[in-house]
Amino acid sequence: MNNRKKLTLLVIVASIVHPSVALAYVDPGSGSVIVTTILGFFAAIAYTFRKYFYKLKRKMFGGKSDEEDSRALDD
Amino acid sequence: MINAISGSFRDPSSRVYAVDAPDKKGRAIYRGVDSETFENFQKLQAEPFYKQLENENRVVKTTLCAPADPVAKEILEAGWAGVMRHEPVSLVSYSYEWSFAMLRRAALLHLRILTDALEAGWTVKDSTPYNIQFEGTAPVFIDIPSFVPWQEGEPWVAYRQFCCCFLTPLMMRSHLGINHLPLLRSYLDGIPPVEAANYFRGFSRFKRGVASHIMLPARVERRIEARERDAVPAQDRSQRKVSRKYVLALVESVTRLVKSLSVNIEHTDWSEYDKTHTYDDDEFQAKKGFVQEFVQEKKPSCLMDIGCNTGTFSKIAAEHADLVIAADGDHDAVQKLFMHESTHSAHNNILPLVLDLSNVSPNQGWAGKERSSFDSRANPDAILVLALVHHIRISANIPMALFLDWLRSFNCDIVIEFVDRNDEMVVKLLQNKTEQYLDYSRESFERELQERFKVRASKELKGGKRVIYHTEPL
Repeated sequence: MNNRKKLTLLVIVASIVHPSVALAYVDPGSGSVIVTTILGFFAAIAYTFRKYFYKLKRKMFGGKSDEEDSRALDD
Repeated sequence: MINAISGSFRDPSSRVYAVDAPDKKGRAIYRGVDSETFENFQKLQAEPFYKQLENENRVVKTTLCAPADPVAKEILEAGWAGVMRHEPVSLVSYSYEWSFAMLRRAALLHLRILTDALEAGWTVKDSTPYNIQFEGTAPVFIDIPSFVPWQEGEPWVAYRQFCCCFLTPLMMRSHLGINHLPLLRSYLDGIPPVEAANYFRGFSRFKRGVASHIMLPARVERRIEARERDAVPAQDRSQRKVSRKYVLALVESVTRLVKSLSVNIEHTDWSEYDKTHTYDDDEFQAKKGFVQEFVQEKKPSCLMDIGCNTGTFSKIAAEHADLVIAADGDHDAVQKLFMHESTHSAHNNILPLVLDLSNVSPNQGWAGKERSSFDSRANPDAILVLALVHHIRISANIPMALFLDWLRSFNCDIVIEFVDRNDEMVVKLLQNKTEQYLDYSRESFERELQERFKVRASKELKGGKRVIYHTEPL
């Protein structure tokens, strides 16, 4: 078995035996701040874009505020 | 007698205590809080957003107790700085007993509360469904100490918890059709992203919200775990700052995502019960009349309808009972009842729960005491068990004596229907079964029943193929 094959086998075995949930020392939630920063950045861009889009749409066609819609508990 | 509730130990800033009411009907709920929580609550009470949430019954009604109150005095002696009193909820239920629509509604309530809080300079530090309870079909937020002032630059601290407990199970059900309830029953702290990522393969990774809220967090967590394992010191990420605009935008985006998630109600054996039952009209009216007479006479404070299907009889009971716990193992039937009650209920007193009756929620969590079993939470004074016995005996293979013992343990009046061997539904159940359950007969059932209960009334239905009994405990 050449090195490349050995490596492929190792990766496959590791992916099978690697525990998906482990009681490790690093708090799994410590990555949350990274995730929320990335997602928050894109969400803020989308939010701003949507705000202006709906403002324009409301001016042209009328209808309810997008903010009211997103705050309601049900559709 | 004052008892600290065994599931309330995670947040060191407070502890919940239950006090039996003098008439033994229900309990009063108190909470000992530390000085910081006490001061926070005093400020929170004056906040317009909080007052509005309380007026709309979105948060549990809460007051501060005078130190002279005898119960408060005892709690203060335990070392707390102040004592709150909460209005008790009718029945504590857990997210692993909620249908998709209930979990979704609880998620939307949490997001609404968080948005209002953030806009007013506050935040909600926890994001677990155990902080939300249902009064009928209306979710109510019960963990008042979760409200804390928002610190400049603070991210959405409970984002991961929200995803694990609400968003991920909702996406798994909506995008993949996976039954989220057994997963939530096992993962009491929610489904971790690394685990959830294993379920999303191929094109399902491109479904709305999966890449952002499951695959990305799973990847980040795996990388951190790989980089900081063994003796490598963990990086300090607590100093990272996020603008409030980002936090609000993320909450808004997640709200949109949750609203976009839905499931179709499938045609199961139970979800169309109103149209597919095997009674003719007169017989069905006779059965309804028997139940109606029972609830009208009994006027229960808490009636449990086990095996409720889409709640035909729960709705009759709800006219005369203070609370109806409508339980069934069929998710879609329960979801249908919840959706119906959300829009048509006159009293909002039916709590629909998904419960496999041959395996109801057990005591579990830390030391087996953190989340209590369904039996120990429910305290009914009347039970309906309609056309269920054959499923318990034949489908779940539970001896009738054991099932009747379980019913007897509630020590209350029971209306129970026996479906005999010649009924077409039992014939269908026994078809292709090797074991023929020869002990399953009306004589044997009545013998077992009368060993535990006194039969007050009975009525034959479907020409004697079924019999309905009103019993009281011996």
